[in-house]
Amino acid sequence: MLRFIGKRLWHGGLTLAALVTLTFFVMRLAPGGPFSRNRKISPEVQANIEAAFHLDEPLWQQFGRFVWGVLRLDLGPSTRHRDYSVNDLIASGLPYSLTIGFWAIVIAALVGVAFGLAGALRRNSATDYLAGTIGVVGIAVPIFVIGPLAQAFFSLRLEWLPVGGITEGWRSLVLPILVLALPNIAYISRITRTSMIETLRENHVRTARAKGVGWRRVLTSHVLTGALLPVIAYLGPATAAVITGSILIETVFAVPGIGRHFVDAALNRDYPLVMGITLLYGSLLILFNIATDVVRAILDPRIRHER
Amino acid sequence: MMRQGKGWARWLAGAAMTLALATGPALADDTLDRGVGSEWSSLDPQVNFDAAAGWILADAYEGLVNFDPSGKIIPGAAESWEASADGKTYTFRLREGLKWSNGDPLVAQDFVNGVLRTLNPDTISEKGYYFYSTIKVKGAEALANGETKDPAVLGMTAPDDRTVVVEMETPAPHILDLMGSFQLAPLHSPSFQADGAGVFIDPGKVVSNGAYVIKEVVPQSHVLLERNPNYWDAANVKIPFVKYHVTEDVGTELKRYQAGEIDITYDIPLADLERLSAETPDEVFIFPSTYLIYYSFNLSHPDLSNLDLRRALSLAIDREVLEGKIVKGGGVPTLSYGGGFDADYPAPQIAEASMSQAEREALAQELYAKAGYGPDNPLKLSIATTVAEINIRRAQGAALMWKKVLGAEVEINSMERKAWLDLFYTDDWSIFADNLVGDFAGPETFLSYMRPSAEPGYGWEKPEYDAAMDEAAQVPDKAGRYVGLAKAERILLDDYIFAPMAIEPYRHLVKANVKGFAPSVAGYHNSQFMTLE
Repeated sequence: MLRFIGKRLWHGGLTLAALVTLTFFVMRLAPGGPFSRNRKISPEVQANIEAAFHLDEPLWQQFGRFVWGVLRLDLGPSTRHRDYSVNDLIASGLPYSLTIGFWAIVIAALVGVAFGLAGALRRNSATDYLAGTIGVVGIAVPIFVIGPLAQAFFSLRLEWLPVGGITEGWRSLVLPILVLALPNIAYISRITRTSMIETLRENHVRTARAKGVGWRRVLTSHVLTGALLPVIAYLGPATAAVITGSILIETVFAVPGIGRHFVDAALNRDYPLVMGITLLYGSLLILFNIATDVVRAILDPRIRHER
Repeated sequence: MMRQGKGWARWLAGAAMTLALATGPALADDTLDRGVGSEWSSLDPQVNFDAAAGWILADAYEGLVNFDPSGKIIPGAAESWEASADGKTYTFRLREGLKWSNGDPLVAQDFVNGVLRTLNPDTISEKGYYFYSTIKVKGAEALANGETKDPAVLGMTAPDDRTVVVEMETPAPHILDLMGSFQLAPLHSPSFQADGAGVFIDPGKVVSNGAYVIKEVVPQSHVLLERNPNYWDAANVKIPFVKYHVTEDVGTELKRYQAGEIDITYDIPLADLERLSAETPDEVFIFPSTYLIYYSFNLSHPDLSNLDLRRALSLAIDREVLEGKIVKGGGVPTLSYGGGFDADYPAPQIAEASMSQAEREALAQELYAKAGYGPDNPLKLSIATTVAEINIRRAQGAALMWKKVLGAEVEINSMERKAWLDLFYTDDWSIFADNLVGDFAGPETFLSYMRPSAEPGYGWEKPEYDAAMDEAAQVPDKAGRYVGLAKAERILLDDYIFAPMAIEPYRHLVKANVKGFAPSVAGYHNSQFMTLE
């Protein structure tokens, strides 16, 4: 098992290195720079500003500087947010992104699996249709439609929750978490339902039933472990995606997370910030994928022995 | 001064507090909540270049002058000032007993130190040009370019604790517009020397001299300010707390306004503008800013080197219809370049300003044909613009009018803002959806940008214009100078190197219980002049 994890980590590291290298150079192909302005300042001052951020150096040297920074866990200064380093910005934004992402995925997993199970066990019942409807809505309607609708209903009409910002404690987080959870509830319930139905038809389940094992016992020890494998496979990348990819949520609900920084940084050619967040997102995605593989390997011996 | 990270430890600590988000205080009635759009770029008064962050800093810092709600220049830290007869030297007299927020005495040298820090190449500030270009303070350019580090060369001095003297190479009556906190905030040297630039975002350490002090800073979320008891006019500051909220999405900001979370918005969504203006006219504030929009013609382009054609293109645009019916963002149609910002300026307009639009279009068709274009040989051009909705609408409207009136085939080349900025200097464009934000509400900031000898590179050869501008620059009094500037602008407009389009407005929603908010072209809205009822 340790060898399995070690190998995965090694591959993950290589992937991350490739990702970061590619991002660094491709980013520089885009026209414009962090200090492009329509009002040109004196060439000496412009040169001084660029030199301060090492933008005057050859690209390979800047890349070396970046790699050396990463090794020292220093991602450098942000070119747009002049009061902060990239480390500062990530430290200030990540807790919000993590909090929202964590609760969204917990809620999505619990509700999604419950809906999926209910649907599979009572096919074509009212619960199944309800779960199906939520599934269609959650997947088909994008966040930038559901978000404003939720704000209009819960904040403006009912006045239960704030529209946006984070200044009202937990109440500020309810809507972003629920709206972020919704599409995942939909996916997870669909995956659970399909997988449950398949597993229920499998030979080992039928055998267990034939041997006279109780229905409840069959469900917990024979069906669920198998049926939840695809859900777990989905949860890993989904968790990473939810934590890192809540850009829309953060924009719609004015949450100061790092998702928004990512887009702004790219648009403003804030090279150090783009690199910092790419590195963070890449690491999270790879780590969650490895964690998923490990959990699946524990549950399903076939995966472990494949290689 | 470059700030390094506070290390990975803090990063991890931040990540660990995931589940321990503290419950913030609920919004209280003693707080004015203001929107600042997307993130401010810096709270460092010598570095910040953002108008929105400028509001925050205008509450926290006071320059030698201040701006009343309508944008009029009023005494700030200086109680009075006088100009020398040649208009090159200004002497400011500070109020008696001024204090920093920590109780330290505020002296004239603190203002000089603020300018020295802005000019110091180590500060990496883009604002130095205010002092070596917008006005020409002696020695400023040498300091900004790093030719010298000697503060004694600067023509801004503090002969005693209550006197600031500014010596310029040429007279500049607009110097007063640049003596507010945006360009000229004083520097509290002891706290800056102790903690570097990090002091400006650290509520525990920041020392300021404005009506408010910074109490809390959460990047991308908000800045909270509290009344400064050591401010000289603290007795007249009515609102105890001001909170500036970041809301990137204008639709969300509108909902936050409707829910009562924000009292003054940063902007109004274009889609809701008409409805809100009809439903709550008293809460909608739309007024001109110093943001000028004009379409530049590339003079090195084979077609556009023809003056008749450029003139035809400018005349074919019905600006009233464009701004009122197509763009619908509250833009003010303009036929001038430096006009519309200061009512005292006798602004020239393009020569055909007195014609009706129908007459202009007839003339445009005539000129278009004269330049050798017609149905068999239509003009083919493209407009380079950013992807912002308002800019695309305007470009589509202009292209439509050129098609309808002239039969020209103009396509729209929209791109990301940074790409658009860079495109200008590549010269690889024919029509550039250009804009310029003035440094102050007057014509000169615009007109000097167009000087053939100035930086931006419109490829326009016109010694007469340079000469007229040089002549105007020697006149110390505003009225006389405006006559000279108007003469220069006449030369500029007659060459049709661009089509003036519109003055982009400020758009704010202001709650009915907020008093003391007024239209101001300069865009300063200090919270100290507002009250909550």
